[in-house]
Amino acid sequence: MTFPAPRFSGTRRFHGTQVRGALVTIILLATGGTAAAIPGGAAAAPAGAASTGYVRLAHLSPDTPPVDVYLSGPGDGTTPRVFDAVGYGVLSDYLPLPTGRYAVAMRKAGAPASQPPVLTTEVAVTSGAAYTVAGVGRYADLGLRVLDDDLSAPAPGQAKVRVLHASVRAPLLDVAATDGPTIATGVRFATGTAYSQIAPGRWRLRLGATGTAPTSVDVTLSPGTVYSLVVLDAERGGLTTELRTDARGGSVVPSGGVETGGGGLASGGRSGPPYALVVLAAGAILAVSAAAGVVLLRRRARRG
Amino acid sequence: MASTTPTEPATSIERTEPIEPPTGPASPTEPPTEPTERSGVLRRISCPGIAAITIMACAAAGTLLGIATYRPDAPTAAPAPSSPARADRGDTPALAGAGPAGPAAVGPGAAGGATPGPRTPAGNPTRIRVPRIGLDAVLVTLGLDRAGRLAPPADFTLAGWYGGGPAPGDTGPAVIAGHLDSRDGPAVFARVPQLRPGDRIEVQRGLGRLTFRVTATGRYAKNRFPTDAVYGPTPGPELRLVTCGGGFDRREHRYRDNVVVFAVADPPPGPGA
Repeated sequence: MTFPAPRFSGTRRFHGTQVRGALVTIILLATGGTAAAIPGGAAAAPAGAASTGYVRLAHLSPDTPPVDVYLSGPGDGTTPRVFDAVGYGVLSDYLPLPTGRYAVAMRKAGAPASQPPVLTTEVAVTSGAAYTVAGVGRYADLGLRVLDDDLSAPAPGQAKVRVLHASVRAPLLDVAATDGPTIATGVRFATGTAYSQIAPGRWRLRLGATGTAPTSVDVTLSPGTVYSLVVLDAERGGLTTELRTDARGGSVVPSGGVETGGGGLASGGRSGPPYALVVLAAGAILAVSAAAGVVLLRRRARRG
Repeated sequence: MASTTPTEPATSIERTEPIEPPTGPASPTEPPTEPTERSGVLRRISCPGIAAITIMACAAAGTLLGIATYRPDAPTAAPAPSSPARADRGDTPALAGAGPAGPAAVGPGAAGGATPGPRTPAGNPTRIRVPRIGLDAVLVTLGLDRAGRLAPPADFTLAGWYGGGPAPGDTGPAVIAGHLDSRDGPAVFARVPQLRPGDRIEVQRGLGRLTFRVTATGRYAKNRFPTDAVYGPTPGPELRLVTCGGGFDRREHRYRDNVVVFAVADPPPGPGA
């Protein structure tokens, strides 16, 4: 691999340079010193935040048939992304998107794009933030809701879980870990809770609801990971759940930055004695001694 | 066209890592060779004065040269906080295991749902390439130093993947660090600060090659390092490149800033997943 940046090897030329070449060497060294002072690739990028956010789409309305979801970016020229025939209980993956305002439109599955959408909403994507745009409620009062998903890291060594409640069979829902913490209480249909911290590992989650027999679900949670527990109507009655990994990070996060530079590209980055000066001094001494030697030799020759 | 580089086992590469270019101090024996030779010549013309002056001058020049060319490479690592515990290898598998563990933590009774389409190759990442800036480097595995900071690669020509975090291609932010420069000149990540949104980064992992697209870059003071943005959870596979930037603090022998390149898997998970 080659780099266009100057390599500072001027001093090596000095070895073996004879006295007569001292002046030439000094010039070379001076040039080398100048070259070293020019920062090669050290020019850093202008500061700019991570200008990406995340959007996913969800169908959380039990009695609404599958829909086509259109996501249009900022500016009218872009063709919308289309999520075909999204059925009840489906959450898409998150799409990383440039920040800006996006329009979300829902049409009956298979309906032409020219047809007026059944529902529309907007989501303003900001840097680093995540959103779930969900069709929620019963078909009769179907709505599109933008949920803020807090994907920030849980406390060190912990996991985060929240509940997305999309079952009409449980108007109010409680979720708690057996022999563990309570995750949410009194969750209303068609809402999502905030994330709560929980120790990673295997848990049996108990879903208690008015009007339905309690349901249990076994989950395994990893540290540094963010989950959504989606509660749905089961096909054969009762509740079912899906644990979605919203985001994942490392379990051990390093502290602070990284020392990734020796300073060779920085002007005057070298520690120790001022480099060019020392070399110049050495060259000067050699030159003077050479001159003195020549003068003395000539005198001697004249005398002889 | 990644044909030139068959997957090199990371372990064998790591073993070669600690070898520093042995640029020791310029040997003090070097300058005297000239004086002795010269003094012989001078003695023949029997001029003790010339001989004395020349010897002294050459000795002085030689000493100065010795100072000038002396590269304190032994203490190279000393200013870097990583040196006490260079946890570059060996100790990471336990940590790394925590990252990719349980790729699909789906609760029982869940209806499959969305799963990533292409399968992510297994194993540690072995190589990073950024064609636009001519970057092509072998990856070692990085760990933490005693202070809990990311220990940079010991070799200035290698880049390193933080083994305690997600691997490239797995869900989460994979972090790859490399030196901007050594004491002598450009190092492996010298041109990383030139990356711009839209640039493609390739990472070799196992038999597969993963591609990422740069979404943003930033320069941050090290004492305000954006830990959340760099290491925080992400919904999909992402990549961070970290190197140095900004002014160089000569007293502490370190750059004041870090340059971070943010990238996401390319292509990202498609619609209808």
